[in-house]
Amino acid sequence: MNRERFIRQRRCDWQQFESLLSRMKGLRLNRWSGHDISRLSSLYRSVCYDLSLVQSREWGSRLEQYLNDLVAEGHNCLYRSPPRSLDTALNFLSDGFPRLLRQRKHFFFVALALFLVPFLAAMVTAAVDPVMAEQLIDKSNMEQAGSSYEKELYRNIDSKFAEERTLMAGFYVWHNVGIAFRCFALGAFFGIGTVVTLLFNGLSLGAILGYLIHRGFSDNFFSFAISHGSFELTAIVIAGAAGLVLGWGMIHPGEYSRLESLQIHGIDAIKLAAGAGFMLMIAALIEGYFSPMAIPHLVKYVVGSMLWGLVFIYLMYGGRGGLAVALSDVDRSGSGQARAITGAPIPESGESSL
Amino acid sequence: MSHQLKVDTRVTVETPEGVDFQFVIAGPGKRGMSFFIDALIKTGVAVLAFLLFALTAGGTGDPSGVAAGIMLFTWFCMSWLYGSCFEAFWNGQTPGKKSQNLRVVRTNGTPIGWFEAFGRNLLLVADGMLVLGPLALNTVGLISMAGTRRMQRLGDLVFDTMVIDESREFISRAPGITQGIERIPRFQCRGRYQVPERTLAVIERLFEGDRLISDGRREEIARTLSVTLRQRLGYEDAGPDPVNPNTYFAQSPTKHTTFLKRILKTFSEDMNEGEVEPAVSPLSVTRSSGSIWITPTSRRALGGAVDEANPAVAAGTTIIDENASLEFLHDADVEARGGLPEDWRPMQ
Repeated sequence: MNRERFIRQRRCDWQQFESLLSRMKGLRLNRWSGHDISRLSSLYRSVCYDLSLVQSREWGSRLEQYLNDLVAEGHNCLYRSPPRSLDTALNFLSDGFPRLLRQRKHFFFVALALFLVPFLAAMVTAAVDPVMAEQLIDKSNMEQAGSSYEKELYRNIDSKFAEERTLMAGFYVWHNVGIAFRCFALGAFFGIGTVVTLLFNGLSLGAILGYLIHRGFSDNFFSFAISHGSFELTAIVIAGAAGLVLGWGMIHPGEYSRLESLQIHGIDAIKLAAGAGFMLMIAALIEGYFSPMAIPHLVKYVVGSMLWGLVFIYLMYGGRGGLAVALSDVDRSGSGQARAITGAPIPESGESSL
Repeated sequence: MSHQLKVDTRVTVETPEGVDFQFVIAGPGKRGMSFFIDALIKTGVAVLAFLLFALTAGGTGDPSGVAAGIMLFTWFCMSWLYGSCFEAFWNGQTPGKKSQNLRVVRTNGTPIGWFEAFGRNLLLVADGMLVLGPLALNTVGLISMAGTRRMQRLGDLVFDTMVIDESREFISRAPGITQGIERIPRFQCRGRYQVPERTLAVIERLFEGDRLISDGRREEIARTLSVTLRQRLGYEDAGPDPVNPNTYFAQSPTKHTTFLKRILKTFSEDMNEGEVEPAVSPLSVTRSSGSIWITPTSRRALGGAVDEANPAVAAGTTIIDENASLEFLHDADVEARGGLPEDWRPMQ
């Protein structure tokens, strides 16, 4: 077949493909008609065939380029990411995320240690000797924290309450989630950024807490922080774990190439970070609306402890097949039997030790 | 995936149909532009949120807490979720990328998922680190892009994605190459009067408009091919015209390029392309039901020579003439094709 003749014969289809493609690209996916889809895909296949014909006969780079671009555009239009539903997202949050965290629990514990050790050290130091605390953090910060917990900072629920609380909730989302995401992203530098962030956050929080204890405001502080602390502190540590996973993928590729290892660890890390972001959103809501409510301290301690329990149960038993499994696990009736009840075996490594 | 060493910015991808095709990787210029546009949009929305906040404060100097909370939340969304959400829901594009015809795909050409979109946008923090000084924006990302074949920044490397350039122009032969060029008449060639298509393709590339080659250099390059082709075709120059030899010598600096253009004109173009369409006599073919569609070229080549008795026409198939292909489509075929190019006309 002569090239000119080929072009003449096929051009009709190419132009049709082009116009159909540009029309369908502008449409939302659920507005595509079945007729159009089948025509588009059959035209796409024929253009693919034309491209391979032109490639094999070396019929000129311009023609090849044209067909190549047509195929590329059609490919991107036809092969798209599967439509995700709200269900997928909820499933991830309820099952996938805690399951993944248990798979990567070593990273969680390392991140926890990196946060907790400087936290406790700074707290004890500052509680015993506030002069030392001044070495750790800025004095003005400390004064500010002191003054804000000097008296109970709770407000009565009046007309102003909702407004002020919305402001604070917005601030906590913006500030805390930002810190967590940054903590994760800095893991891309061999995990160093994450380690530093965790250490410094632990140090400064511990020092402030120690200072407050020294001043004798600990009751005010704990009753305020216990409720949202459950989600917030856990999520910060999880974000740190995500950064460490990323860094570990770079440092220790094992039997993969460094790039492959980075990609394998990267996808796990981002899932952890996404879950941490979700938990911080919840924490921001609690911190914004519940923590500063003017109710007796005892109520707060009870609710706060329950929230800690909730976080524990969520991360420990989420994704194991529901509440039935959680209960049967608590009853020490064995997780194997519980899985048989739900009917679906859950692939997970190193679960028995938990 | 081809492991050939390449100097251009293309990446080969195999489709599920078994065809290899290439993506053009987007460079820092276009990506920077789309980044800039996205930044403008983000800043614009953030400023709008701030204005809303300032408006509710009014003259009282007592700003509304709800408005402030919404403003802070909007800032959060703009700085962390903007790119992720657009790329996840818009098949790998943000408004900025769309304006530059860019798209994020996985390195195997398949579309990205939620987590890839989210992750590569979070890692913008790492990519945006200022290493060399306050003015060196996105230094880490740029270094990473310079060091990888697919021009991936750190976020792309980790999540196995790349940014491709989808802009496309209609490509046919560069226009005007063969304008005012004469064909090589058959009688001037003693050898085979034929040139393979791939040679024609090579000649075409030499004359592509986007090639910055001086005429002298092009003549030099053309020479090798021209000499070989002359031998193959058995073509000989007519030599200087005894009446006006100046023309011959004036043309000799572009002797080889002109020859290649003549080759292109002779062998790769339709006989009648670009020439005045001759008057067409109405054809005598009729069908019992419906009409027959025909291209103008076929019509010209037929010149009224086909009649009802021709079995090929009756069967609605393609007749291949020595000079041109004759194509017929029946109404049913036209339906099946879903339309007809504009220049096709019905035969009565």
